[in-house]
Amino acid sequence: MPGHYYILLSLALFFIGTTGALLRRNALFVLMSLELQLGAGSLALLTFARGLGDQKGHVVAFFVMALAAAEVAVGLAIVVSVYRSRRKIDLDAINELRN
Amino acid sequence: MNVILSGPSLLEKMAFVFLAVGVLTGALVTITRKSAIAAVISLVGTFCAMAGLYATLSAHFLAVLQVLVYAGAIMVLFIFAVMIVNRDDAHPIALRGLFVRAAGVLASGYLFYRVAWIVVRERQTDVLATTITLPIPDYGNVASIGRLLFSDFLFPFEAVSLLLLAAVVAGVMIARPTRPNADMGTRTTSGGGAV
Repeated sequence: MPGHYYILLSLALFFIGTTGALLRRNALFVLMSLELQLGAGSLALLTFARGLGDQKGHVVAFFVMALAAAEVAVGLAIVVSVYRSRRKIDLDAINELRN
Repeated sequence: MNVILSGPSLLEKMAFVFLAVGVLTGALVTITRKSAIAAVISLVGTFCAMAGLYATLSAHFLAVLQVLVYAGAIMVLFIFAVMIVNRDDAHPIALRGLFVRAAGVLASGYLFYRVAWIVVRERQTDVLATTITLPIPDYGNVASIGRLLFSDFLFPFEAVSLLLLAAVVAGVMIARPTRPNADMGTRTTSGGGAV
């Protein structure tokens, strides 16, 4: 397939992820939307790597995957910790830093 | 070379359309569900379809990693968090400050429109014309990506391993249920002061 279909798909996926991160108020859904955005970025990286005939894009997508794993581990730990102390994960209602 | 490049074959088109529709539907279902567990399951489907797209881009190693890491490990983490938190929100869309959020969505939609316009305009360039033939014979398989990872990208690779270690330690520290100084009998399962 020509590469611009992949890039358009990656753009649409990124837009869906941005919409979810902006509109949802549950912290878990915002984290899932961030995963969608990271996946869209990886798809664009792999498409351009294929078009350029270079494999460095694959390595960068690999690092994106590792970073996503680290981000999800810490982010979900924060969500669970906030839920334990406040009984809610509504991002609009969590507005203070003190315990 | 005067080889006339034929367009993508019918099978390739069908695979791309199938996987693209799967990715977009899964993503839309993910951000619109009220129940978090349904969103996680549809996100698993989205990532599996994205692994198929990676395979059509002849990124075999990344396709396997996508299934193993994203659809496997990360989604299991999400399911654990959903099981712990497990609260369906009554009003999933934030109504307070909806104007600001709608302005944000409109702005990102405008960005999407502009970049899509540029991509469609530049679709004849060499970078965007994915051909049938592979650039090098073992493009995107485990051996060549591993050779690249352990030669040119050795320092970022080791740095990422350190980052993952730090993330694991931070996750355990943050999500630990009891206070460090609390005596062994009392577990703060409800109420304040988790950390």
